[in-house]
Formats: sequence, C-alpha cells, structure tokens
Amino acid sequence: MKKIEAIIQPFKLDEVKEALKGIGIDGMTISEVRGHGRQKGHKEVYRGQEYNVDLLPKVKLEMVVSSDRSDEVIKTLASAARTGKIGDGKIFVYDVAEAIRIRNDDRGESAL
Amino acid sequence: MIVEKARSSLGTIQQEFLATGDSLTALAERTAQIDGVVTEAASAFLFPAAPSGIAVLAVGGYGRRHLFPYSDVDLLLLFESERLALHSREPISAFLQTLWDAGMRVSHSVRTPAECTEVHNDNIELNVSLLDQRYLTGDRILYAKLADKLPRFITANRDSLIRNLSQLTRERHTKFANTFYHLEPNVKETPGSLRDYQLLCWLTQMRETEPGHLGQAELGPELNKAFRFLARLRCYLHARSGRDNNVLSFEMQDAMADQWRDGDPAQWMREYYQHARTTYRAALHQLEANEAQSSSLFAQFRDWRSRLSNADFSVHRERAHFRSPQRLEAEPDLALKLFEFVARHGIRPSIEAVQKIESRREPLREYFSEPRALWPSLVPILTLPHAPEALSAMHETGAITALFPELDGIECLVVRDFYHRYTVDEHTLVAIQALWSLDQASDPALKPFCDLWTEISPAAPLVFAILFHDSGKGSGEDHVVASRRLAESAMKRIRVPDQEQETVCFLIAKHLALSAAMQSRDVFDPQAVRDIAHQVETVERLKALTLLTYADISAVNPTVMTPWRAQRLWQLYLSVYNELTRELETERIDSDASASPERRAFLQGFPTRYLRTHTEAEIDQHIVLEERSRKRGVAVDIHKIETAYQLTLVTASDRPGLFAAVAGTLSSFGLNILKAEAFSNRRGLILDTFTFADPSRTLELNPSEVDRLTVIVERVITGKTDVRELLRNRPKPVLPSRHARIPATVSFDNDASGTATLVEIVAEDRPGLLYDLASAIAQTGGNIEVVLIDTQAHKAIDVFYVTASGRKLDSQRQASLDAALRRAVEPM
Repeated sequence: MKKIEAIIQPFKLDEVKEALKGIGIDGMTISEVRGHGRQKGHKEVYRGQEYNVDLLPKVKLEMVVSSDRSDEVIKTLASAARTGKIGDGKIFVYDVAEAIRIRNDDRGESAL
Repeated sequence: MIVEKARSSLGTIQQEFLATGDSLTALAERTAQIDGVVTEAASAFLFPAAPSGIAVLAVGGYGRRHLFPYSDVDLLLLFESERLALHSREPISAFLQTLWDAGMRVSHSVRTPAECTEVHNDNIELNVSLLDQRYLTGDRILYAKLADKLPRFITANRDSLIRNLSQLTRERHTKFANTFYHLEPNVKETPGSLRDYQLLCWLTQMRETEPGHLGQAELGPELNKAFRFLARLRCYLHARSGRDNNVLSFEMQDAMADQWRDGDPAQWMREYYQHARTTYRAALHQLEANEAQSSSLFAQFRDWRSRLSNADFSVHRERAHFRSPQRLEAEPDLALKLFEFVARHGIRPSIEAVQKIESRREPLREYFSEPRALWPSLVPILTLPHAPEALSAMHETGAITALFPELDGIECLVVRDFYHRYTVDEHTLVAIQALWSLDQASDPALKPFCDLWTEISPAAPLVFAILFHDSGKGSGEDHVVASRRLAESAMKRIRVPDQEQETVCFLIAKHLALSAAMQSRDVFDPQAVRDIAHQVETVERLKALTLLTYADISAVNPTVMTPWRAQRLWQLYLSVYNELTRELETERIDSDASASPERRAFLQGFPTRYLRTHTEAEIDQHIVLEERSRKRGVAVDIHKIETAYQLTLVTASDRPGLFAAVAGTLSSFGLNILKAEAFSNRRGLILDTFTFADPSRTLELNPSEVDRLTVIVERVITGKTDVRELLRNRPKPVLPSRHARIPATVSFDNDASGTATLVEIVAEDRPGLLYDLASAIAQTGGNIEVVLIDTQAHKAIDVFYVTASGRKLDSQRQASLDAALRRAVEPM
C-alpha cells in the first residue's frame, strides 16, 4: 500500500477530486494548509501598507491506495492539478505498513 | 420470564405506533409496561432481603409517564438509611441486572430522603428529576417522608434551583447556536425541542410549589400541541432506529413522510419549525424573566433603560411595549417604528407587542401591499446598531413577510445539502448578524473585513441585498435570477431610490461570483483578476460584494469561515482592488457610436469609472453644466442629497491648484468634505464632484448661502478671489481624543497606472485637510489627474493620480512631494 500526499492549489481541488473519482478513488482526507515552496510569497500593497503574503493557502490531499494503483493515481492527480505555473504543488509517496478499519478490525487492503 | 415479556411488548407498542402515529398512547403503554417489569423485579429481588425501608420511584421522563421506546429508565431507589443501602448491594445489583437483561437502559440512583433534599450544584438534574417523581412500589411510609419534605425543599431553594436550571439551558442553547432553524434538528436537545417543553413544565411546577403542596405543570394548548407534535417525531425516530436516536436527519424526514403519507417533507418540516418556535419563544420568555429577577445589578440597568420610553413605546423590564396597542390598527407604520426602536436601542419587543403584531399580520400585509415610500423608514431598521435584533423580531412576528411577501417562499425552507445547517430564512438572518459580529471580532484574519465594514456607506443596500440574496430559493428556477426579480419587485413597491436599487440588483446577481472565483480561479492570475474586476466595475461595489460573500459563507454553518478561507477571500479582494485602482487612470472611455454627438464629445476620454459611478440622469445634468461653462468659463451646481450636499463643477480652463482651491473654499464655509472625485477628459475638460456635510447647518438655515457659495466658487476658479484670503480666519478644529488618533501614511506607486503616479494618503480627517493636500501637490508642480477621496468616521483615505509635465513623478519629485504631504497631514 502507498500513501499519496499532495499539496495543490485550492482552486484545483474540485477538478482533482472529479478526476480521482473518475478512476474510482473517492476516499481521501482533505485539509486546508498554508505554506510555500519555491513560489515564496509576494507583496501586496493596500492603503499604503504592505501585506507580506509569505504563506500561501494550499490544500493538502491524503489517500492510501494499493501499490499497483499508485502510479495511475499519481498520474491522474498530477495532470488534474497542473497549470504549468510556479505554485502548482507537490506529490509525496510513502510506503504504508498497515491499515486497520477501526469499526471491525479489517486489516490490509480490505481496510482501505 | 420478565425479560421476554418486556421485549415482545415493546415490539407490539412500536408496531401499533407506526400504524396509527399516536405517540401519547405509545408513551403511556410503554410506561405502564415498564412499571410492571420494575415492580415485578423489585418484588423478586429487592424486597425479600428488606421488606421495609426501601421504595422504588420513577423519576425524570419515566416519572411523568413520557417514556419513549428507547429512552433511559430513570429510577430512584429510596432507602431509609445509608446502612440499609450498603447492606442491600447484592439485591440491588440482581434487580438492576434483570432490568438490563430486559433490554432497558436503566439509569438509577440510590438515596436517602435527606440526600434527595439537598441542593446539588454539580448535579442539578438530580434535583430537577425529583419534580417528576412517581411512587412505583415498596415502603409507602418512607415515600410519604420524601413527599412531605419535597415541597418545602423546593420552596426554600427555588431561586438557586431555577438559576442552575436556567444556566444549564443557556449552555444547551448555545451548543446549538441559539436557533431552532436547524436542517437536521435533534428533537430532544435543540432549542424549541422536547427539553425546552420540559423546562417550561419544571419552571411552572417550581413556581407553583408551596410548602405542603407540589406544583402542577399546566401549560397552554399551543404548547401541548407542540409537545404532541415533537413527541410523535421522537417516538418515530426511536421506533425506526431501534435505539435512542433523536436526530431528525434528511433520511428520517423522507421515511416519515412516506410512513404516514404526509406528503412533502419540506411542508411538515415547516410545521416542525412553527412548533419549535412556540416552545423556544416560551422558554426564552421564562428564562429572561427569571434572570431579570435574580440580578439586582441588572434591575438597576433595566430601570435606567426604562428612561428610553417615548410617546409610542414604553420600556418595562427590558422590553418594548406599545403605549396604546390599538393604534396599530389605524397606523400600520407604527409596527415599523417599533422595529426601528429595537434597532436603535437593542430592546426587544414584549410578548404582548409580538402577539399584537402577529394578530395584525393580515391587515399589515394588505396595507404594505400598496406601493408606498417605505424605504426611508426601512433604512434605520437595516443599519442601526441593533439591526440584526430588529430583523429577527420582524421575522419572529411575521412582519417581515407582511412587508415583503416575496420572502414567503423561503420561510422555514429546508434546502438539503451537506454544508448548510440552517433553513434559508435563518441563514439570511445569521448572515446579517455575521456582519455586525465583525465589530467584536478578535481574530486577526477578520480584521480587514472589520475595516471594510466600517467603510461601507450607505450600508442599507448591502443589508437589503443579503435579506433577499437567497429569496428565490425553492422557486424551482435559477435562484440568483429569481432572487433578483423578487428584490426588484419589493424595491419598486417601497420606492427604493434608483441608485440603491442598482446596487442591490448587482449584489444579488453577483453574490456567488467571489466564492466561485475562490473555488475555481487562481486569485494571483492577472487574467482571472481582470475578469472579476470587469464584473465588479467599482471599488465601492467590490467592498460591498466582499462583505456579502463574507457574510454568506459565514452563515452556512459556524465552522465554515476558517482563517484560511478568510485569508483567501481577502487576497481575492486585494487583487481585484489593486486591479480596479490600476485601471482607474489607464482605462478611458472610448467613443460610443450609438450616443449623440455632444454626449460622445463630452464622454470621450473620461476614465471608465465615470460611467460606472454616475447615473444617466447625472450624466445628462453634467452635459448641461458643460454647455453653461462654455459661456462663463465655469459652471457650478450645488444641491442637497439626503443628509449631505453635492457640488459639481465643470470647467475647461484647468490650472494648477484648481482642485485645492475648491476644497479650500468649502472649508472656509465650515463645510466638511466627505467625498471628492476629479476627472478630466482628453480635451482638458475638468469635472470635479465634492460631497460635503454641513455640520453647523449653515446652508440649511440660510438658503441664500447656497447662492453665495456658488458665486464664490466660481470667482475662486476664475481667479477673481484668492482662496488663501478666505481661509485666513478659519477657526482651528477640535482634535479627536488621543486614543482615536490615526497614524498618517503616505505611499507612492509608480507601477499601478500606465501614465500617472498613484499617491495614497491615509490620515486623520480634519477640516481643510483636502485643501492642504491638494495645495501641497500643486505647489510641488504636480497635476492631479484623478482623485478619489473617501472619509470614514475621522479617517480620510485619499487617492491621487498625479503627473508632472505629463509624465509620472521621478524619484526626486516623489521625495519632495512626500515631504510636503507629510507636513500637510501633521496634526495642527
């Protein structure tokens, strides 16, 4: 099993969710996060005051999928989240040791 | 044996209930059945060990014979002494185990009569549950001891019991955001639910208890009807779920409608809200009455508030009463006056006043259905410091739909989705409340919205737009289109001025634009920002729309407006704001072939903002002024607009310091400039508008001064009078307190516009400030191309687009202008 973690632009969330649904992935955890990579922040001037926007709002998606599906999921995710500009985000992939469904103690892929 | 009997009869009770829908019979039967089981188990296990000194009492819901199929069975095991109780441990546990095995969820307590009559501050439920105690079986003499003590105990501790109970209830209400308009309500706990009905029973009982006599809970027919309705729902939820489930989810609403062919669930959910409203209102009334009695400090305040009474309303016990309710029959406008009173003082209408308006709902509806100029009466209700309370009171009394039948369709309307927590009408009121709550917002993410909110003027169109933004929901067509149409028909009837109508229509039509952009557009992408800027057109509209979006999102449910989301909305605002100010100087009107030649010549080259901020009638008037100016070199018009005046000036002979000169002239008359705009078209025609207040009412009391002011402005512009002479004897203004001081900022931006340098000054407003700023610009050789002046309270926000010799300012000029402006904004 692989855990896929993706940091994407907030306005791409609906598109990414739809694309993943299209390949049968509808379970995921979504959180509102802030951060920056190379995009850094930028300055906005308003009423003579500088607003330093150094942490940009992003959306984090997390999902665990079976190992044989992970490439397909990553490809779908990346193509839906891409605009080609700085700030599109990143995808991280981890190995998952175990998954347990709390309700009935199902283990492994059947718990996904 | 006991176990099987209990299980099978529960099944029968549920089946009968599902067939008939008769909950009262089901509750009574379930109670009788459990009575039997408990009595039998007690005889089998408790009494053989101790034939006297033990009594079994039913308490809580079970005690009052309102036992729902899967509710807890509350038992009080009354023991003569603690010693006996300790010795009876084993029989007690055998007794309870039997009941558990029978599928009952027993919640029991073991007490002596003395323990029952102590105040338990941390377990107020125990004290309260005794109000519903009912003897089941066991030692009658022992029970008689408790029954004798109980009324005395309640009489002696009434105040603290009521106080604890009130506090508990307030906490529960707060958990549900103090509203009963939940889409998936908990029929036991939400405001207006069974728990509130019970609260009313308890309070009545406690009030009527005297030493030697326990009070009865007699409530009116309305409340009993509400109880029957709510009990039926809860019984159904239990029967269908097979457990103590009290949440009336969407699935359950559908299932229940199917079960009894009650038709559209939305329809009877409306009935639910009516009953919940009856119960909640009665509960609140009781709570407030009790709280008022228990606080002497509050009583003093209340007495002070009674001084707010006037010829129409008297204030008594923190409630507004009609002095003569029958006047409402001859003067329906008195209802609106009452709501204005509420909006001004935050004193809610009395129960009697509410009932009076409710009883006049149909005549009011008829009266308001005629076109009448009601807008001036509505504006204070929409904008005064307690406007949300006033609108809630209008909603509660039905006055809002009497005034605007357009809102009938969203009353108690359930729109099902995953996010919304409230009915549509309540969502609207919560949204308006969200704006007012900004004043107290401590979250730094909300600070910018708080500033925007203080800047909105006039606020009435924004609030009106929120009131109507979802009015078309439930109409079957696109709700944005339907809401706009409904708002238009309402505004025509109450004669809202054209400009306000336009703002409202714009806000409703675009009320989803910013949230849609946040959702699906890159707010840093220049093209996306330009698209939104073109939809919004002016900074004023952007501010209002941003606030509407903020309020709308905040009112979906209490957790949606996260700091993260607030930050996204603010970023979008900033991007669009900067785009709108950038294009202010750059985007000029191009000739419109369909316009008449003189109109075309006049408009050509003005900034596009000019078209967006002026109505057709105003443009026509400006063209007339231009014609006049040809003969005399200048034309000036001054007229009153609502609470302020507007001066419009057209001249073809621009000269350095022109804008400053007019500003100075107005200051010399003691007039306070609130807003100003300066435009010039490519032919060099200057059009300046000044909106100013007349704090000492000079113009109002001396109409001839208007003509004198007009003449002097003309003389100043044509160079016949020197503005410095006029200003020589100007009195020094009074400065606001040190705490209210606003630090001055001066900033330059050479990138914002293609042709001019943008100079933005935020400073403390004072008479003559604009003159000083404009003079500083003129003296350093700057030419003012476009100006936007705004004043909020005593904060002036001035944006000048300045050029020197037709170009942007170089760094040297910027430095000298910066120094000059800083000198000008220094407090005197």
